[in-house]
Amino acid sequence: MNRLEHAIPAGVIMLVGLWVAWISFTQNPAEAFLFPRLISTIFLTLSIWTFVAAWVKPSEVNATISATTWMNILPGLIIGAICVFWMGKAFGFYTASIITVFTLISYYDPAPHRQISSWIKRILITAGFIAVMYLLFAMLLGVFTPRETLFR
Amino acid sequence: MEFIYYFGEVFTFWSFSLLLLGTIFGLILGATPGLSPTMAVALAIPFTFKLEPAQGLILLGALYTSTVAGGAVSAILLKIPGAPANIATTLDGHAMAQKGEGARALQVSFLASLFGGVIGVLLLIFLTPILAQWALAFGPSESFWVAILGVTIIGTLGGGSVVKGLLAGCIGLWLSTIGFDDILGTQRFIFHSSLSGGINIIAALIGLFAIPQVISMFAKGRQTQDMEVIDVKPHSLFKSVREVFSSVRALGIGTTVGSIIGLIPGVGGQIAGLVAYDQSKNFSPDRKRFGKGHPEGVIAAESANNAMVGPSLVPLLTLSIPGSPTAAVLLGGLIIHGIFPGPNIFRDYPAVVWPFINSMLIGQVLMCIFGLAIAGYAARIARVPPHIMAAIVLTLAIFGSYSVQTSMNDVYVMMILGVGMYFLERYGYSAAPLVLGLILGPIAEGNFVEGSMIANAQNGVATYFLMGTLNLVLILMVVASISYSVWLELRSSKTGLPS
Amino acid sequence: MKKLLAGAAIVLAAITGTAQAESHANYPDRPVMMVVSYGAGGATDFQARIVTMTAGNKDALGMPIAILNKPGAGGRVGWNWFATQAEADGYTLSAYNVPHFIAQSIKGGVEYSTDSFEPIANWGADPAVFVVAADSKFNSMADVVDFAKANPGKLTFSGAGLFVGHHIAALQLEKAADVKLAYIPNKKGGAGAMKAVVAGEVLGGVNNLSDAFRAREAGTVKILGVFDLERNSFMDDVPTMKEQGFNIDNASVNFRGVMVPKGTPQGVIEKLAATVPSMFENGRVAKRMKAGGSPMAIMNREEVQAMWAKRQATLEELLAGL
Repeated sequence: MNRLEHAIPAGVIMLVGLWVAWISFTQNPAEAFLFPRLISTIFLTLSIWTFVAAWVKPSEVNATISATTWMNILPGLIIGAICVFWMGKAFGFYTASIITVFTLISYYDPAPHRQISSWIKRILITAGFIAVMYLLFAMLLGVFTPRETLFR
Repeated sequence: MEFIYYFGEVFTFWSFSLLLLGTIFGLILGATPGLSPTMAVALAIPFTFKLEPAQGLILLGALYTSTVAGGAVSAILLKIPGAPANIATTLDGHAMAQKGEGARALQVSFLASLFGGVIGVLLLIFLTPILAQWALAFGPSESFWVAILGVTIIGTLGGGSVVKGLLAGCIGLWLSTIGFDDILGTQRFIFHSSLSGGINIIAALIGLFAIPQVISMFAKGRQTQDMEVIDVKPHSLFKSVREVFSSVRALGIGTTVGSIIGLIPGVGGQIAGLVAYDQSKNFSPDRKRFGKGHPEGVIAAESANNAMVGPSLVPLLTLSIPGSPTAAVLLGGLIIHGIFPGPNIFRDYPAVVWPFINSMLIGQVLMCIFGLAIAGYAARIARVPPHIMAAIVLTLAIFGSYSVQTSMNDVYVMMILGVGMYFLERYGYSAAPLVLGLILGPIAEGNFVEGSMIANAQNGVATYFLMGTLNLVLILMVVASISYSVWLELRSSKTGLPS
Repeated sequence: MKKLLAGAAIVLAAITGTAQAESHANYPDRPVMMVVSYGAGGATDFQARIVTMTAGNKDALGMPIAILNKPGAGGRVGWNWFATQAEADGYTLSAYNVPHFIAQSIKGGVEYSTDSFEPIANWGADPAVFVVAADSKFNSMADVVDFAKANPGKLTFSGAGLFVGHHIAALQLEKAADVKLAYIPNKKGGAGAMKAVVAGEVLGGVNNLSDAFRAREAGTVKILGVFDLERNSFMDDVPTMKEQGFNIDNASVNFRGVMVPKGTPQGVIEKLAATVPSMFENGRVAKRMKAGGSPMAIMNREEVQAMWAKRQATLEELLAGL
């Protein structure tokens, strides 16, 4: 049980190591891949070692990610991924941030969702944070962010 | 002693206002993930067009010193190193903040910065000619060995298993080869077009440290109504002062390592903090406390980071050779004002160079005063509930990784590496060795390739890399460092205790 | 639901469509960014910052130009990004370095060529020069070549990378003097190559005239020759390669200017081509460039197009043997 749990990630890393080594040793020109060849050899050796070690001497640390943890992580990860991979470019940074911050805060806020006051609090937190970011970085320092739909 | 004469220059109304502004903005910029000292100085250069050369450089000098120190703030409070220099600070600094000792960590960090920073600038003032020769002594072969010395500390850095530390380091080294090869221009491991620019170190840094943090806050879920609120303890300034100046070992190692390594062009700045941290851990009688919130870790790392600032300017000022990306930007700032650095810079432009150096000296003091003033309030960030913190850190991470090179590709890389790191961390791999690999890879490879090209035109690779006093000394240090790791691993496997 | 979505899409398209049509007339109505394919603090970067500093003036673009650095692999990273990912709306400009990007596109392995870009204007021409450390025993190009003839392949000299102006100069020197040299490309660019010379890691180096001029002022190097058709006003005393008996033209001179991606609206290109050269002619720009030791050469769009075509032909011939 525990053995498998630690052997699987080690195995995945070993496969990555194999792939890196394969690419390094098959691609040309050789001069450009000299360093990758060196690294990938050590990489592969170490990953095989870890894999064998995980199989032979299982770790006592319990690293299982329970179903509840998964359920907790996933919504946040999905919102984050939507923001990074789509909204950032489509809506611009500040607009995307408003949506992301507000959704994340609302979803994970332990305060009851039926209370008006807690919604007002969430809106205020989002607005305050984005306002500070916008004033400091966009207005004062002129740091570039992806193109904007709502803000310039 | 000429520099004392030019202190008057710094204390005129305009200059001092600029110095104040530079320090405050530097702290804010430094504390923002992704806005490294290099970026902060580059952002400020257009402003200096409108100023007199001396005043423009006072602004730049103040910004440089305070952004380096400001990076510690986000490293301690958010576990996001503002720049590669602050990686080592996260290791103990954030652990302290989570114990409610954020105020103590910040105070200790600013005081150590002040000490290291002032020593560094004093070295710049008094020893420049000697230090310049030392900086030039590091050619490709020596720089290569320094990078390898850095690689050898990878294994012991994570605090967990040495093998897993090394493996994480290897992953970092491999990630560093992705993209165009710098010399030949060959494409390597570009399996998706957004990787063609390679993996940016700062974007990776943000992802590897911030995102696992965000995910573990998600993992707490929303049913935790009775959330444990961290009890943020106030800390008396007097105690922090005593604490910093009684940690002679950490402070001494930090300052020495920082100023020596900071000098080496192209290598120094990024690894000074980590090497100093590792060394003071090795020499400490209670090395087990490191990584769990030991103030000495913060002291060593931060004194090293700031001690590096002064010496890193030596090759720039005397030889016109920028030793770090920030120095390169500063060089641009000097040239735009018609100042050409060179051996006679102190004779030709005393009215510009001395105020610039003095501004860094006074900037250190101002930075420390401001830092100490805000430490108590800033530490309360630890009490922000996790659901709000997660959203804020994620937004800052996206902002930071984007603004490094104004590229969405960096944001994608940041996010993917971060999510991957969350899972790796659960299985005992840590981010610090991985990042170190990512930093050292290009240094080791670039210097090896350049060195072997020169060697092939001369007496061969072996002679070039293995001869010469400095090479031999460095090789001895590499051997010593490896033996120490092996000894530690053997001892821990014998006693069954994690090292 | 589907209908609603389709409707929304049409409305959205209409809005963005009109927005685009409008943008020609009052272009630019927001800050413009300019990609520099080299790191902050390098010669290209800091010249780009100087020549664009007056962009916000009423008689120039009326909007500031922000410099973005995308360094890596001798400029390939930045230009690849610019050719494939930059929006061709006139709000993303790039600095070009000729012969660098042309030589790289001839060598291959990149996603751009002269056809991927539209030149706007040229601001500077920085010839390559041959430098040696101040305490070197070489005092002329003849000394260098004599040493190389006596020790084939042992004369190490640095330059900013492969397939950049310095490399072209190195190839021309090898060909003209008929010797074998050891060119050492530096991954840290011109600054790194200069450090290698000053520190004595290599016997000599090819570097930018502007950087070499400053280094000579500082007393760290000697300049032995200029890879150009005539002497440069920054250093009247340094002879050209031709004067020293080597048949080398100006193919390696590093021309720097501004370009936009192919597909940028014609109206925008015309507006830029009309305003940018006069922006470069601003007196404040000239003063700063002179103070920094950077030679200027302002050329308009047609002149740059001709220059690109000429370089393309010369470089194809020179690189054919590699």
